[in-house]
Amino acid sequence: MDIGRPKRIIEVDPVSLPLPEVVPDLEPATPEPAPVEPDRSRPAP
Amino acid sequence: MPARLETPVATLAEPIHAWRTWTLVGSRDGSQVRLAPIAGDGRPWPPRRPAAASCTRDRSHVRPELECTCGLHAVESPDELRRTRDPAVLGTVALWGRIVEHEHGYRAALAYPQRLRLLCYLCFTLWGRNGPGDCEVVVRHRGGRMVPLCGPHLELSRRYGYRVPRILSARAIESELLATYAVDPLRELVRANGGTAESISARR
Repeated sequence: MDIGRPKRIIEVDPVSLPLPEVVPDLEPATPEPAPVEPDRSRPAP
Repeated sequence: MPARLETPVATLAEPIHAWRTWTLVGSRDGSQVRLAPIAGDGRPWPPRRPAAASCTRDRSHVRPELECTCGLHAVESPDELRRTRDPAVLGTVALWGRIVEHEHGYRAALAYPQRLRLLCYLCFTLWGRNGPGDCEVVVRHRGGRMVPLCGPHLELSRRYGYRVPRILSARAIESELLATYAVDPLRELVRANGGTAESISARR
């Protein structure tokens, strides 16, 4: 592409970078509790 | 006697928004796609991280150097891009860091795409941004190069014996591209980024 002759130098120091936001890790921080074992001390109905 | 370059340094706090085109490379099934520069070192642009300028002529100088051609190129108007060689993707791009401003565009140290859409390069070359239709397919060539085409130009390519080794859905490839770079689609070319091309360049 032809962008013509150079004119000047610009320094751009953006306040916030134009990048996509980091997607938060949706994995739970603590492991889910193990499923509760059924109570086998009682006889099944 | 050559004219002396006037090179004042301006400092800005907002990125410059401009336009550019890329080629497209991807995996065989289209599950991984990357933007790649049409000229220069050919390295794909990294997702979610800024692309950084390099120089294939002189690695020792600052990039972009005023007297060199290095840097990440972009232009003020998308019409300037019609003459680029085989573009596959058109988009707006944010530029920052050290930038050399030219008469019709920029060379920047750092850049990241903002909005993207696939291009049928034949439509774009013929009609520019007011081309008639959307891409329907992406032809993937050996080596990973991907060429988006509209339906009529796919038919024309077949009729004239252009090799069409593997055809993928343009909609799926564009979705993958947007997800990879986490950017929005460029649907309305004249109003990209919520304004006209002129207003985009006026934001600098």
